[in-house]
Amino acid sequence: MSDSENRPGWAVYATHSGEAAEGGVLGRAGPKIDGRARILGAALYTDDLHLPRMVVGKFVRSTQPHARIVSIDVSGALAMPGVVGYAIGSELPQKYGVIPVAQDETAMAIGKVRYIGEAIACIAAVDEETAHRAVRAVKVEYEPLPAVLTIEDALDPSKPHIHEGSRKPSNILRRIFQEYGDIDKGFAAAEVVIEDTYEYPGSTHVPLETHVALANLEPDGKLTLWSSTQNPHYVHRDVAHVLGMREQDIRLIKPTVGAGYGGKCDPFCTDIVAAHLARKLRRPVKITLEREEVFYTHRGRHPTRMWLKMGFAKDGSITAIDFKAWAEGGAYASYGVVTSYYLGVFMPLPYTLENYRFESHRLYTNKPPCGPKRGHGAIQPRLALEMHIDRAAQALGLDPAEMRRANCIAPDTETCNGLKVTSVGMRECIDAVVTASGYHTRRGALGPGRGLGLAASAYMCGALHPVYQNELSQSCVQLKVDRSGEVTLYSGTADCGQGSVHMLAALCAERLGIEPSDVRVIEGDTSLTPVDLGSYSSRVTFMAGNACVSASDKVREKLAAAVAAKLGVEPAALTFNGRRVFVTTAPDRALSFVDAVWLAEEMFGPIGEVGGYKPHKIGSRFRRQSVGPSPAYSFTAQVAEVSCDLETGIVVVDKIWVAHDCGRAINRTIVEGQIEGCVYMGVGEALFEEQRYRGGLHAVPSLLEYKIPTVHETPEIETFIVETHDPNGPFGAKEAGEGPQLSTVPAIANALHDATGIWFTRPPFTPEVVLAEISRAARAAAQRPPESS
Amino acid sequence: MLPLPTFEYAAPTTVLEASRLLGTPGSRLVAGGTDLLVSMKHRLFEPRLLVSTRRLGLRGVSVADGVLSVGAGTTLREVARHPTVLEHLPSLAAACRTVATPTIQGMATLGGNLMLDTRCLYYNQPAGWRASLGYCLKREGTVCHVAPKGRGCYAAHSADTVPALWLLGAEAEFVSVRGVRRIPVSSMYHDDGMAWLRLEPDDVLTAVHVPLAGRAVGHRKLRTRQAIDYALVLVAVRAPVDGGLWSAVVSSVSPSPIFVEAATPADLAEAAFRACQPLSTHLPAATWRKKMVRVEVARAAAALTSA
Repeated sequence: MSDSENRPGWAVYATHSGEAAEGGVLGRAGPKIDGRARILGAALYTDDLHLPRMVVGKFVRSTQPHARIVSIDVSGALAMPGVVGYAIGSELPQKYGVIPVAQDETAMAIGKVRYIGEAIACIAAVDEETAHRAVRAVKVEYEPLPAVLTIEDALDPSKPHIHEGSRKPSNILRRIFQEYGDIDKGFAAAEVVIEDTYEYPGSTHVPLETHVALANLEPDGKLTLWSSTQNPHYVHRDVAHVLGMREQDIRLIKPTVGAGYGGKCDPFCTDIVAAHLARKLRRPVKITLEREEVFYTHRGRHPTRMWLKMGFAKDGSITAIDFKAWAEGGAYASYGVVTSYYLGVFMPLPYTLENYRFESHRLYTNKPPCGPKRGHGAIQPRLALEMHIDRAAQALGLDPAEMRRANCIAPDTETCNGLKVTSVGMRECIDAVVTASGYHTRRGALGPGRGLGLAASAYMCGALHPVYQNELSQSCVQLKVDRSGEVTLYSGTADCGQGSVHMLAALCAERLGIEPSDVRVIEGDTSLTPVDLGSYSSRVTFMAGNACVSASDKVREKLAAAVAAKLGVEPAALTFNGRRVFVTTAPDRALSFVDAVWLAEEMFGPIGEVGGYKPHKIGSRFRRQSVGPSPAYSFTAQVAEVSCDLETGIVVVDKIWVAHDCGRAINRTIVEGQIEGCVYMGVGEALFEEQRYRGGLHAVPSLLEYKIPTVHETPEIETFIVETHDPNGPFGAKEAGEGPQLSTVPAIANALHDATGIWFTRPPFTPEVVLAEISRAARAAAQRPPESS
Repeated sequence: MLPLPTFEYAAPTTVLEASRLLGTPGSRLVAGGTDLLVSMKHRLFEPRLLVSTRRLGLRGVSVADGVLSVGAGTTLREVARHPTVLEHLPSLAAACRTVATPTIQGMATLGGNLMLDTRCLYYNQPAGWRASLGYCLKREGTVCHVAPKGRGCYAAHSADTVPALWLLGAEAEFVSVRGVRRIPVSSMYHDDGMAWLRLEPDDVLTAVHVPLAGRAVGHRKLRTRQAIDYALVLVAVRAPVDGGLWSAVVSSVSPSPIFVEAATPADLAEAAFRACQPLSTHLPAATWRKKMVRVEVARAAAALTSA
């Protein structure tokens, strides 16, 4: 029995009747099949790998935010004993980027630098110490250019373009404008209109493992690249593209990865330059980033300024939303085009909305590039929207929980912007956290400086469309079953700690009636495993899970046919469970799983099956809605309890109650872990985390000064899993890795209002900011004339 | 990996030999190394020679004639767990327990804490970062980024145990080729972020002596997180006896700890507030830290009053 089963707050809601879990694997709690290797330190990460004759690459990085590179002099470095070679940007001129319409990056800067910390050159040496010394001996001469450092700068046509040749009037990567329904009519029908601006800060992922790549040129001229990536497939394509090699001549292997949270979704200079230098020097090359370099590599949360206007009817229903966002994206596009959509497309969830307009801008500035971070693009507007809901409830005299509950979209609806929603567990989530936290009786009653706040949210389960146009499977799984009884599962997925290896093993085991530990999962190796698009947009459980079930079903069909023939029954009469295949009505008439495999191989020849998954076409009314549609959506509600020290401004999150509709928990422990991880990251963004700059220089590129919560700052988290059995998910499963973060920060902000009477519209809620607002409110209250009664 | 610079290493067995080695240019004493090695990785120091305390026999706690003597090489964990410290000097135990993390407390020494370098947001950074900024007055540069028009370096005294030791009347014992001398902890420091120690390079801190019969001292450390972090404001407060004065030592707001006294806790908090002028050596706003001086002193005094 696991901890989660003993936990008093544990509850499972089922709103749809699910398929029976025949194999007995689904819904279990317990450790991952690959957990022990990580805990014992036996798992091999990229930096653990060593090859004979291997050298170490180290980057020379820009000290200027925006400057022309006049000269790069590596002679001092090359003269040092132990230095074996170098590479500079002009050797790799091919631009790349995951998003085909915004490929603006080269592996290292060519001609000019666009942010402090950008790679300019790479020195290869026999060891880390030598490489370090050599990097310090490289001389780079700059001619500074005016830097573009703020949202105002980026919108200013008089500022220089960060990317030459742009036809935009200022440093705008992408502007999105969408309008649905009749926005004016909506506002005209409103009883209350709330309008305000919000600022959400940039933050970074902080994976414990930094970015690492190891490249080796094989004797046949082919290249092997080990990379700590979330997206082996996209990295594979881009490395081939930049190096001018055939994809089939590059084998990309993803060893154990120590987390990503979106920070390892792009192809990085580590990957491309290690590969390039391995070819150039004909020696294996490893590049391991230092923590400081990860802060410059970034691709984290976009600092976003938002303006939100919402109309509400007397009953609390939303009559219209008008939303504008400006996201400061740093020097390169990364996934920024997608960000510009994600800022707006999820606003019509989870509340009923007919009239909606949004305009978003993704901007360039001379700072480290922003990209996808857990809850990509949807985190920032969720703060604004959920605070607006509480503010409207206050204005209308409604209960914020009841108001949210009453306006939840129903299952099987299409939103005003064409998102087709299947299963919805929103109300169950709200009920779970409201009940457990005593929200109705305790909110407003905890005394000065203490408060409760609620927020709800929805997120996607994989993007309907791949980032490059194709009609192929987005996830593929291959199974090999042989007479040993071992099942080997090949998948191009990239587990970065979230548990997708276990998820695949569990789904396969469930279908074949064996244990997850009987399934050996080989993943993330482009020469061994079929393509999977990668660990992004919360797609893996839904898409790779479906591919896995498909392949498993094909194996099962052959085993069932063989066993049925042997036992003289119909295949449908058989049950797969407990490493046996037996007649459901007469369990003693059974064969072991191994015997079933023998029989099947006798009947069909060697057993190997493949399964693929591609979302079925969702006919949207809106052609332009290419980013946002997902095959399913997850839902979350949270209540935060906070204490605010009114003398110091220090905010402590005492407890979070969180309920998440993950469709179906394949492994409850992993789902809980993902939910807790989301809450943890949300608490960090609410209270501490911000990519701060002094001009273009990152102010705090270290784990000492970039504060992520320690165990002391992490609240007690009570988790509720809500199961809705999505009709299209594998056994009804959706996602759990990103969605739960969306409502953490707004729940804390709403709780802070309950505690202080102040709407804090700009995280992080640091003591100095909170204390200043408390003092301001006190002064304003003192100056206000007494109300006449 | 952030590699250490190359250096020579010596582990002498006598304090006099250590002192002699420290008298040679480019040498530095290393005890637990928990702060020094990080600074070396950041290239704040690139010493030619590290002289280790580990074979000097400086580890251990003894009590004689009402005085607790702590060898400078004793770890903070050992100090914090010593029964006499827990019984008679709870503020010292508390101060040791607020340093960094439990694992670091098991490595870091009391002597190292007294000798801790002053800290600043613009100084305690990797080499490449400091190069982007054009370095700073304390290391390789000519401008103080905290106070560009100021008179010197304002890097903050950040030793967690010092305010409590100061008010407990502790003395530090130094040995050099010139002999043995004892200096009150309250006289060890200068208000200069670059030359904050009133010592010679070859002075070896061997022990800290703390009288057990001192008055009650309270200790508070304000920090962003309840582990790992250095102080934003560090205070120790001492209660008066027989109508005497309340005293406070405030640190982390200037290169030297600041001592104030007053007749009442409220006056003490106000006096500390007026005496301290924190600058932007830390990430949170200096104006907020100044306000926190008053709050922290008042709270430390209140805790003593209620105890």
